[in-house]
Amino acid sequence: MKDKLIIAGKEFSSRLFIGTGKYSSNKIMAQSIEASGTEMVTVALRRVDIQNPQDNMLAAIDRQKYLLLPNTSGARNADEAVRLARLARAATEINWLKLEVTPDPYYLLPDPIETLKAAEILVKEGFVVLPYINADPVLAKKLQDIGTATVMPLASPIGSNQGLKTKSAIEIIISQATVPVVVDAGIGMPSHAAEAMEMGADAVLVNTAIATANDPIKMAQAFKKAVQAGKEAFEAGSAGIKNQADASSPLTGFLRD
Amino acid sequence: MAVLKINGEDKIFENAVPSTLKALLELLKVDEATVVAEVNGQIIPRNSFYNTILKDGHKIELIRFVGGG
Repeated sequence: MKDKLIIAGKEFSSRLFIGTGKYSSNKIMAQSIEASGTEMVTVALRRVDIQNPQDNMLAAIDRQKYLLLPNTSGARNADEAVRLARLARAATEINWLKLEVTPDPYYLLPDPIETLKAAEILVKEGFVVLPYINADPVLAKKLQDIGTATVMPLASPIGSNQGLKTKSAIEIIISQATVPVVVDAGIGMPSHAAEAMEMGADAVLVNTAIATANDPIKMAQAFKKAVQAGKEAFEAGSAGIKNQADASSPLTGFLRD
Repeated sequence: MAVLKINGEDKIFENAVPSTLKALLELLKVDEATVVAEVNGQIIPRNSFYNTILKDGHKIELIRFVGGG
């Protein structure tokens, strides 16, 4: 069985989404995106630097190949997130949005109450909302119930590369999900991405681990393979874990009397 | 003398402010295809930049996409 990932009616072949922050150059970013095989990339909205108005990273992204997923990073409450969402829609002329509300700059953990509040407004306004949340099964359920297109629980704090610290909570989220579950934030190595996919996550979103690797292009390729491997392993079905040995070779016909 | 508040900072014009949002972007050498704008808190669609009249004291936000996760 090879089922496709479908979010809000759009089909994705790749289950790896890529963030575009922290790359050393637009060229490396573009090559890493290409190498990852992704079909969706996140971007942020910021004020134009009036002293340096020519800088335009969007020119490096082929919008025929990659769906832009603007985020609301920097929003500290629902009002700021809604404002950024509307600006993003005006800028992209599409209504996909990664909703993130992070009032605390040290851990950048998402605010569940403000996120839910913003999601309610944005879903009503016709946005395709992909909310970034802590791995909270109750919140995930509330969000899917009000009509978000996915839920995106964090593996560990943004950019921390700590991997799946929230594994057991994400397992609960997956078990009750009616929308795709995208593990977002904190995935530091391809093995973490594979582990998330083996658990039954629908996709992963990776930025820092690729963008700040010594060789981002090679790391993007590694993540591509890991996500595919993890997905295939999930489909294949785990052989399970036992507490004692279970011989792989026959326990009969030994060369002894 | 006239003032526009652009991205949180006052920009002073000797005589008058640029007549339209489009004229302001040309003056600042900002490619209009790459930005989204708010005037006094209201989002201006790109196809209305040319007929959005600016006046002394208006607050302008010029925003664009940057790399982000």
